[in-house]
Amino acid sequence: MRRYSWLCLLLLAACKGGSDRTQADISAFVDTTEAALGGLYAISVDPDLPEYRPKAGVAGTLSSIGSDTMNNLMALWAEEFRKYYPNVKIEVEGKGSSTAPPALIQGTAQLGPMSRPMKASEQDAFEKAFGYPPTEVSVALDGLAVFVHKDNPIDCLTLPQIDAIFSKTRLLGYPQDIRTWGDLGLSGEWANRPISLYGRNSASGTYGFFKDHALGGGDFKDNVKEQPGSASVVQGVSVDPNGIGYSGIGFVTSGVKTVSVANKEGDPCFAPTPENVYSSRYSLWRPLYIYINRKPNGEMDPLVREFLNFVLSKQGQEVVIRDGYLPLHTDMLKAERRKLGLDPDNT
Amino acid sequence: MNTPPVASRSMEKGAIPSAQNNPWKLGTPWIWLLGAGLSVLVLMLFWLVGLLFLRGTLAFWPGDLWALRMQDGTVYLGEIRKEEPVPGRPGVSRLQVRIGNRDVYGVDFIWVARDRVVQMARLQGAVFIERRQWGPFIGFVAAVRTPEGVVSGQRAFEAFMRHLEPAHRRYEAILALEKGDIGDVNYAMEQIRLRRARAERLGQREVIARLEETLHHLEARYRELAERARRLRQEDARYTVELRTIEGRSRTLPISEVIRAYRPNDLDMAGKMGVYAARLWEFFSSEPRESNTEGGVFPAIFGTVMMTLLMSVFVVPFGVMAALYMHEYAQRSWILSAVRIAVNNLAGVPSIVFGIFGLGFFVYLLGGHIDRLLYPERLPTPTFGTGGILWASLTLALLVAPVVIVATEEALAAVPQSLREASLSLGATKWQTIWRIVLPGASPGILTGMILAVARGAGEVAPLMLVGVVKLAPELPFDHNPPFFHLERKFMHLGFHIYDVGFQSPNVEAATPMVFATALLLVLVVLILNLTAIQIRNRLRRRYRFG
Repeated sequence: MRRYSWLCLLLLAACKGGSDRTQADISAFVDTTEAALGGLYAISVDPDLPEYRPKAGVAGTLSSIGSDTMNNLMALWAEEFRKYYPNVKIEVEGKGSSTAPPALIQGTAQLGPMSRPMKASEQDAFEKAFGYPPTEVSVALDGLAVFVHKDNPIDCLTLPQIDAIFSKTRLLGYPQDIRTWGDLGLSGEWANRPISLYGRNSASGTYGFFKDHALGGGDFKDNVKEQPGSASVVQGVSVDPNGIGYSGIGFVTSGVKTVSVANKEGDPCFAPTPENVYSSRYSLWRPLYIYINRKPNGEMDPLVREFLNFVLSKQGQEVVIRDGYLPLHTDMLKAERRKLGLDPDNT
Repeated sequence: MNTPPVASRSMEKGAIPSAQNNPWKLGTPWIWLLGAGLSVLVLMLFWLVGLLFLRGTLAFWPGDLWALRMQDGTVYLGEIRKEEPVPGRPGVSRLQVRIGNRDVYGVDFIWVARDRVVQMARLQGAVFIERRQWGPFIGFVAAVRTPEGVVSGQRAFEAFMRHLEPAHRRYEAILALEKGDIGDVNYAMEQIRLRRARAERLGQREVIARLEETLHHLEARYRELAERARRLRQEDARYTVELRTIEGRSRTLPISEVIRAYRPNDLDMAGKMGVYAARLWEFFSSEPRESNTEGGVFPAIFGTVMMTLLMSVFVVPFGVMAALYMHEYAQRSWILSAVRIAVNNLAGVPSIVFGIFGLGFFVYLLGGHIDRLLYPERLPTPTFGTGGILWASLTLALLVAPVVIVATEEALAAVPQSLREASLSLGATKWQTIWRIVLPGASPGILTGMILAVARGAGEVAPLMLVGVVKLAPELPFDHNPPFFHLERKFMHLGFHIYDVGFQSPNVEAATPMVFATALLLVLVVLILNLTAIQIRNRLRRRYRFG
């Protein structure tokens, strides 16, 4: 089917029949413009966020080692940052959140992007090496979405249902296991269709977050098809009509549909929109962090400082949207800036 | 098995006819089986290359832009990418439309059911605009604002196209200034800073003073260049274009943000071919954009080729030396057998194990020591103590060493004993014989080993991820700053690029064609490397033919 449609592109006239072959003028479509805003809106940043202004004399090399979820984000930030400071070098490596703490401790990286907070053991190891804890900076929000195939009629799931779909332990207390779409109340041809599960591999921060927040810390079923990246979870679901999977909301494609989530039976359902995330009505979200090595009361490395100054600015947060994540809420952003000793209203 | 002379054959035919006529004994079915096996292999190869070719190259074709009006009054404008039947609704199909405008809509692709579409037409004047950010914009050019004035309405597109070329020149001037001139100043400043740190450590006061002075000069130069770049940017920002989507939302951006713009519905075949060729060229020759989902893969091609060549430079001499010693000098003993078995077994070790070895031995141990000895002023920022193209090539060299050693040994064994004896009998020493007679004679076989090694090495990804491949390397490992080759730098690789874009990219629908195109390119690069080596081998073969 796919290949045929590629041929269609080449031989358009042969594939498209009848009247729509004629060219039309824009005026044929203009009368509808009032009704035409098809409900598709991109997220935008708060215009009041501080605008980034470049400083003089910023130079050197930055190295970032950590989360693979944030790999793209770091690469985009690096790209943008280098527009202000053409010869700042930024190397980005993303093998997983667990690689950030050792890199910070050994000094092989100045930035440690992590999609989960550092564990106590990692904090201890850092403190043992330097005598002070690492500094945690929230830089973006990641709404985790549950995806189903675009033809799937399901609209809303409760957290206990999600737990019973993905987990064999059912710690959130759903009474029985859910194996088919019929178990979730779908009828007709869907009733007997088995649910096909897609998830991330256990090294990923997304796996850990979903386990903690959607499964109550329980165990995944053995038949979850573990994927090496978030994009491949989405692709798996988009070609499997019975599929369900989880990954960052930014990875959504036209082949899948995001499911709204209710915290428990009887609660209202909320879609993973920015408003619902900011108000915490949608509960599957997490902050994304960059960890840095900063001596208490000491001067921050000027390059690291400037990079974070950029990340926590209007331009930096626009990059967040471009990569499909949610920007920090204005209040959160200002709090982070204050924490780093940056002017909350001015860069 | 020997063919009997003709005279006796007719006699035997009479004596044992069954042996000649029985197809099983003649082996006919086996020949068919061999043929079938080969055809399956060739078919699969063709299928693979064909798939890569179709999906990798057709994606660059500029499709027409269709306007769709839905029953509820919504309108969409975009390229139709796919059509598939809607399950459960016989006779109804749906279209996947690339509507672009990710900064406006938030998504790149949508599906619409065909029976909900009330009107569908190729709109005249619809523009496809490739931007440096946010992916393509699909809509109309509403107005062009320049210091010369504002052009809107019908003539806006022509004005826009007229300003595009100068805008690109401005963009390139800014880029040349920032990456080239400012880059050089920054590089020089970084070197001076490191030298000052070293001088401080050694307590050389007058050196520090001299370096300080140079640094001041450079800083002044930097300020001057930065000011020039700022002015250029300011000038550039005065040329903007206002774009409008089909439902009337507008976006304004600097003209230099646009890479390419065309009206596919108004283009003829030749025009489309032009756009297609330009896109293909961009893919080969430019740097990636939008975290690798757009733009080109030039740094990855460069990284792959350079790493493979470096690997060959390391592995061939060492492999040949090892094989020479084992074959020509070593006593036949159990130690030699043990070494041979070890080398052969090395070929079966999973590549990721080599990656871990490379990380532990080259990067942490060797690299860490080099940093402490030679670059203490840069610590804790590692120079060689982190992955880089040098360590990656060495790791791969280890990985493919068995291939080279085994092939070389075979090649040495194939040099006729009579040649060596003739050489020795003329008074040459053993070393002279090896150097002048045996090695040249074995060189085609050695190159065969190298070809196999290159093919294996260029396609390997897993170990590289541990020892120096990155998603986005800021600089190529080769540039005009001395010492030209920067072997400590991280690099990009086509194989890793495929993995990264296919599994990790946020906009995976838009990026999928890139995956296929990159895979096709990797196959091509390996093919070219191999063809080159084969060409050299054939030349050598003609030169050193025995008998």
